[in-house]
Amino acid sequence: MVKTVRLGNRLRYPITIVKLLKGPGDKVRKQEALLEYSFKWMREVAIRGETRQQEQTTIVTWESPIDGELKHWLIREGQQIVADRGVMEVQEECGHEIQFQGLCGICGKDMTEVNWAAETRDTARAPISMVHDQTNLTVSAVQAQRTEQELQRRLLQSRKLSLVVDLDQTIIQACIDPTVGEWQRDPTNPNYESVKEVKSFQLDDGPTELARRCSYYIKMRPGLEGFLRRVSEMYEMHVYTMGTRPYAQNVARVIDPDRKLFGNRVISRDENGNIFAKDLQRLFPVSTRMVAIIDDRSDVWPRNRPNLIKVSPYEFFKGIGDINSSFLPKRQDLLSSGAATNGMSKKASIREPAAKKNKDDAALEAIVNMTGGDDPALTKRQVEEQERTFEKQINDRPLQALQEKLDREDEEAEKASQEPEDSSESRTSSPPPQRHRVLQDDDEELKYLEQHLTSLHRAYYAEYDSNRALHHTTSNVDLGSVPDAGRILDELKGKVLQGYKIVLSGVLPRGIDIYRSEIGLQIISFGADLRPKIAKDVTHLVVNAAQPGRDKLLEARRRPHIKIVSQEWLAACFSQWAAVDETPYLFTARLMEEDGPGRQQPVVSDEDEETYGEADTEIQAPNGVRASNGRSPKLRLILPTGDAHTLDGDGNDLDNEEGEIEEGLLPSDLPDGQASPIDGLKTFNWGDADEELAEFLASGSSEDGDDDDEDGDDEGEQDDKYIPPQEDEESSSTDEDVRRGRGRRSRSRSVQPPGATASNGSIERKRKGRGEEEEENWGGGEGPVGETPAKRLRRTESQRGSSLRSMYVAAESGEQLEAGSGLPTPGRSDEQDGGGVDKPNGEEEDDEGTDFDAAELEAEFEAEFDKAMAEEEAEMKGNDWEDAAMEDTEKG
Amino acid sequence: MFFLHNLERRVTLHPSYFGRNMHELVTTKLVKDVEGTCAGDYYIIAIMDTFDVSEGRILPGSGLAEFTVGYRAVVWRPFKGEVIDAIVDTVNPHGFFAQAGPLRLFVSSHLMPDEIRYDASATPAQFTNDADIVIEHGTHVRVKIIGLRTEVGEMWAIGSINGDFLGCLQP
Repeated sequence: MVKTVRLGNRLRYPITIVKLLKGPGDKVRKQEALLEYSFKWMREVAIRGETRQQEQTTIVTWESPIDGELKHWLIREGQQIVADRGVMEVQEECGHEIQFQGLCGICGKDMTEVNWAAETRDTARAPISMVHDQTNLTVSAVQAQRTEQELQRRLLQSRKLSLVVDLDQTIIQACIDPTVGEWQRDPTNPNYESVKEVKSFQLDDGPTELARRCSYYIKMRPGLEGFLRRVSEMYEMHVYTMGTRPYAQNVARVIDPDRKLFGNRVISRDENGNIFAKDLQRLFPVSTRMVAIIDDRSDVWPRNRPNLIKVSPYEFFKGIGDINSSFLPKRQDLLSSGAATNGMSKKASIREPAAKKNKDDAALEAIVNMTGGDDPALTKRQVEEQERTFEKQINDRPLQALQEKLDREDEEAEKASQEPEDSSESRTSSPPPQRHRVLQDDDEELKYLEQHLTSLHRAYYAEYDSNRALHHTTSNVDLGSVPDAGRILDELKGKVLQGYKIVLSGVLPRGIDIYRSEIGLQIISFGADLRPKIAKDVTHLVVNAAQPGRDKLLEARRRPHIKIVSQEWLAACFSQWAAVDETPYLFTARLMEEDGPGRQQPVVSDEDEETYGEADTEIQAPNGVRASNGRSPKLRLILPTGDAHTLDGDGNDLDNEEGEIEEGLLPSDLPDGQASPIDGLKTFNWGDADEELAEFLASGSSEDGDDDDEDGDDEGEQDDKYIPPQEDEESSSTDEDVRRGRGRRSRSRSVQPPGATASNGSIERKRKGRGEEEEENWGGGEGPVGETPAKRLRRTESQRGSSLRSMYVAAESGEQLEAGSGLPTPGRSDEQDGGGVDKPNGEEEDDEGTDFDAAELEAEFEAEFDKAMAEEEAEMKGNDWEDAAMEDTEKG
Repeated sequence: MFFLHNLERRVTLHPSYFGRNMHELVTTKLVKDVEGTCAGDYYIIAIMDTFDVSEGRILPGSGLAEFTVGYRAVVWRPFKGEVIDAIVDTVNPHGFFAQAGPLRLFVSSHLMPDEIRYDASATPAQFTNDADIVIEHGTHVRVKIIGLRTEVGEMWAIGSINGDFLGCLQP
């Protein structure tokens, strides 16, 4: 191998070659003088007490940095060289392309010897570690390329691709809860059937003392055996896990006893070289064009996203998760699986808020982690963390706890139905025949995954064949025609949700860039268009069933063509690579404010029931009493029509409502025997409502024809002024906020132009408006979580800036008295409402009294509305207004 | 190559062991400490006997007694150019690893006869010449050491099976 040798940067250029000491054909050895060169330099000389610079010329020799045979010189004697350049070509005896532990694998020389003539060490010649089970065997780039081409040739020959398979939660789930072992030995246990298939092993040389003592229970994903067998005909499979090597090998033995599928292509954390991320370059340093990955985590593959097929995590042992997850950045992409059982989705929704709480810590941790590199202290910490997790799992026995909970529920149900029998305290003693079980094995992910892998394989080789035909290659193998699997995967995925325009609501915590979030990236990778806020052409609103964002939901409800789906729909699409039918995933739970006062039949969904305490989806109990956080019931002005601005282009309200009927509520979602809550709408006379509204509007204060335009400007201005553009999620929700306000304002139509002189009364109203708005925010309507004081201030300012706002609020307050709830209007000043805590009624009464002439003005204003609203109220009883932000008045 | 080597080592003994059978204890401790270790460029395989246990000297400060023990041990020192037998451990596209007793050897694909090539499709992966030679996990091979490197307590070697009578050993 001929190598061009350069002079190096350490010389004092410019130099002049004086003499070449060796000729072509001579053997050269390291540190042997090869040529003489001269250079000039300034020397400080002292002559009779004064110093001056004197130019000196020095001749030195240049030594060979490598061994070999000199082929020929690239320079000649007398030549002046101004910068580093190649001087000679040397035929090397050995390129040291494979090195093992500081030894050249070809010539056996010690590579760690330091040679002062060379600028780089010999160990740097083979920097790439690409062998699965060794880190100390390294190869040069050339060798790596050669090996990889060999691999590609072989794969093409057998028409296969490479597939990198993750273990934990992708094809198996492991846990160390000793309960599993007990259940396996106890045929009477309800979980016996489920855990019968669970394999177990013990690690002799586990990472920690604790890990050595406990058994690992490995549950294979349903259908794994067949899946692996069939996939292995199309793919050469590699195991890539963040578990330790012994763990990886044991699991590989469980899932592949004959070592036919994976062979020795197993790479674990110990050989990964990076303890936080997986990297295809570790195995395929040159080209990843023929590689696909299946993993349940996409954040661990920062550099190989295109090649990744994300799998929904397998959760058989509930609540266990990934036992090796302490070695990975905290999970941030929780999206409960579409194939999940009821219990599983419950679990996911429990886990989600917790994950959000930890979000900030996790983000910080991720940054620290990414920069941490191979810090041994960090590794130690992670090992400790894992040990803690292990200890917790062994001591707490989460599975047993879950089963006991389930048993208790069963028992209670039994007691309720039959005559009370003595309840068995122990879990194992005389179990009822029909006990529910915690562990259910009904995961279908692998079925879809196999389809995806098959279609990828088919598409890949179709393209390869057409490329080859283009190149007129006759042989079976043509490395030049190899397409990129990542690109093909992108194309396949990109078709799935093509043309969908999706808005997320309540799915991501505020302050996270949706376009860079895990879910956002996935939505985009499946070809859908991710939008920050609801616009005309949006097709789907994806809501978090546990915590739907109210503003977007209300906005979407007004637009019949927007399908409101839970995030399980998204998960199902991702998992099946198909635009799944939305019907089973439609979000039907209703916000409290949406329900009319006459509503008797509530819609209650499972998820909501669990989290109503913290979420703003407050669900009516069957008797119509609201599950309240203890805040006083609020009333809002509801008008059937007049939402002219928001609805332009959307058709009239009637269409709107009908759209809701079709998509919003399905008979299957209603409890048996209950009438649909929107039945009343079918018989509702819309014409009457319109007339009434017109009447009502006419009775309002000064009519402003320019109303809508003003509003439009107003909104734009607020957007620009108050919302920092980088905070997409937040800005969109703030915008929603504003828009909602505007929508209601324009409905009331009792507006003054912004420049109109504000009377004393209007100032007061304005203040009161702000107070109420704040109270509304604090009361949980907006979800005060994440609401910064700065943002509140911004909102307050925006309200202050618009006198239109005050009018709207005034209308609202009028409605409040009219409804006759006995609740005084919260006539607070700015200073008072800071805390935003709801005061008892009596206290508010006092407040009103001290508020200079507030009560007077209030009464005046309210009287204006009283008549109109009374009629309105009568009409509304028994009817449902889809887009009205009305709260229940039956409280108390 | 194996040698019978006279060596010397200082062994310390805890005061609680002081007594009549002290010298036996010293020998036991020596065996435990030394056997199977890598001492620079050779491995101490087994201790034959101790022939000289000096009088114990109490170490100031700790109370431990120190004995200087002369002993005879079988040592194994691999040499460059030596031919040894080894068992193949793992096989990868660049070559295979083999274990010769305590010594870990790597034989790269460059140091095999030309007709032997890597076959990844076999289970397990192997080096083969498509005839009688199959080198896979567990195969006994005869290897010539062409490079050695030692670090404290560890040794590694590069081997070659390119030569007469090297390579696969017929069972």
